[in-house]
Amino acid sequence: MKTSILKRMIAGFSAAAMLMAGAGCGSNNTPAQTTAAPAGTTAQAASDDSLQKILDAKKLVLGLDASFPPMGFTDEANEIVGFDIDVAQEVCNRLGIELVKQPINWDTKEEDLNLGKIDCIWNGMSINPARAEAMNLSEPYMKNEMIFVVPGNSEAKSIDDLKGKTVGVQTGSTAQEILEAADIYSSITVTPLEDNITLLNQMELGFSDAVFLDSVVANYIITENNKDYVVLPGNLEAEEYAIGFRKNDQTLRDKVQETLSAMKADGKLGEISTKWFGSDVTTVK
Amino acid sequence: MTSEQISTLFSLMLEYTIPTLKIFGYTLLYSIPLGMVVALLKMCKFKPISWLTNIYILIMRGTPLLLQLIVAQYSVPYILKSDICPDFLRSLLEGVDIRSESYIFNMMLFAFILNYAAYFAEIFRGGIESIPKGQYEAAGALGFGKVQTFFRIILPQVAERVLPASSNEVITLIKDTSLASAIPYMEIMYIAKKQVPTYASLLPLFMAGLFYFAFASLLTVLLSLVEKSFSHSWKRGMKKFARGIFRRGNA
Repeated sequence: MKTSILKRMIAGFSAAAMLMAGAGCGSNNTPAQTTAAPAGTTAQAASDDSLQKILDAKKLVLGLDASFPPMGFTDEANEIVGFDIDVAQEVCNRLGIELVKQPINWDTKEEDLNLGKIDCIWNGMSINPARAEAMNLSEPYMKNEMIFVVPGNSEAKSIDDLKGKTVGVQTGSTAQEILEAADIYSSITVTPLEDNITLLNQMELGFSDAVFLDSVVANYIITENNKDYVVLPGNLEAEEYAIGFRKNDQTLRDKVQETLSAMKADGKLGEISTKWFGSDVTTVK
Repeated sequence: MTSEQISTLFSLMLEYTIPTLKIFGYTLLYSIPLGMVVALLKMCKFKPISWLTNIYILIMRGTPLLLQLIVAQYSVPYILKSDICPDFLRSLLEGVDIRSESYIFNMMLFAFILNYAAYFAEIFRGGIESIPKGQYEAAGALGFGKVQTFFRIILPQVAERVLPASSNEVITLIKDTSLASAIPYMEIMYIAKKQVPTYASLLPLFMAGLFYFAFASLLTVLLSLVEKSFSHSWKRGMKKFARGIFRRGNA
């Protein structure tokens, strides 16, 4: 109900804005006219030809936030790289199609997927009930733990020591949800911020005493950048990463899943995992 | 960060000043003339037009530009999905590829232009209304037509009066281009945000700040020069113009 009102409002508002523009000035700016697949139709396809569409277009558009090392992030040369990207590239190679890496705004990812801007969300996305409802998720391909990181010189040696302290967490993340549901939540002050790296930097500068984030990200940053951080023993909840497809795109989802399983079987997935994590941490069957 | 990393980062950001300047340039190029038209429409004697213009300005100034940028991005697919969409609009919009880079850029520019035109319109309207009515009457008495009065007597004075306020908008615009990073469109701020995790350092954001500061400083100098030259050249022009009338009167 809420979304349908929102959708009407957006449609009405943009229609009004367009009329205004027409009345005010004629048109300064015509939208791009290109010949690729018509927009909007993919989301409403009655029969499921999602896989065929991708194969015909010869490309898979992967949506990602591009600031989530080591899953998918931007390197020094502004290239999008990461574990997820390597895996997606291999899947595309096996399907004989091109991989298009499309940066998106993480806050509007569900819209981008449903409206057909992208074909899948593949960016270390944790499974939660809302996402399972909004998307057609793949089988989980990796486990992730939510952990607390403190500066090397911190007095806190365990999660219990954090009582009364300030903890940073990424907004809109599953980490935030887990932290809010945890017992310790009532005895800590939480400072939400847009990304984990800024949070860690703020912790270094003394804005907070600890950061609650994905172990995958924390371990990568600590080893890659030689940071003097300590991971507190224990975790609040283990969660899993999955790939998100449109609700109706069953054939595409199944094909990607099948390709991942084949990659796990012939060792390619393990090889990519070793490159990024030092061992095969994937849970694909 | 090592100095080598800093120079890599600097050259990467330098490369992406072009998209930033593209948003800036195109927005100014279209929003200033559009603002002029909107100002005139708002002062239109036919009330419904004036009201509609008021609503447009109210929406543009009453909602955050960031929100407008996002709405513009999703407008085409949502209009296509809605039931009230008329057929001619549907057939027009169905050819639009929402995945193409030109769509992202054009819709973003569309929002920037509409937003800035509303602000410019109010500045221009204030400028036009600040000219005393007596000048129109005096010009009429000297035998000037309505059009001639507006373009030769009123507009040059308006231009001089609106320059300081417009300069403000121009400098604000160079910083507002950073909102494009939320769409996301790759410009300086986007690059800075994405390089933060790469180096695990806040330096990219600081460097982006320096770029904006450099642009704003340059614009400040340029705009103050324009302001000076404008007032001088207009005064010289008016003297010449007045002498011309005087001679014609003598002959």
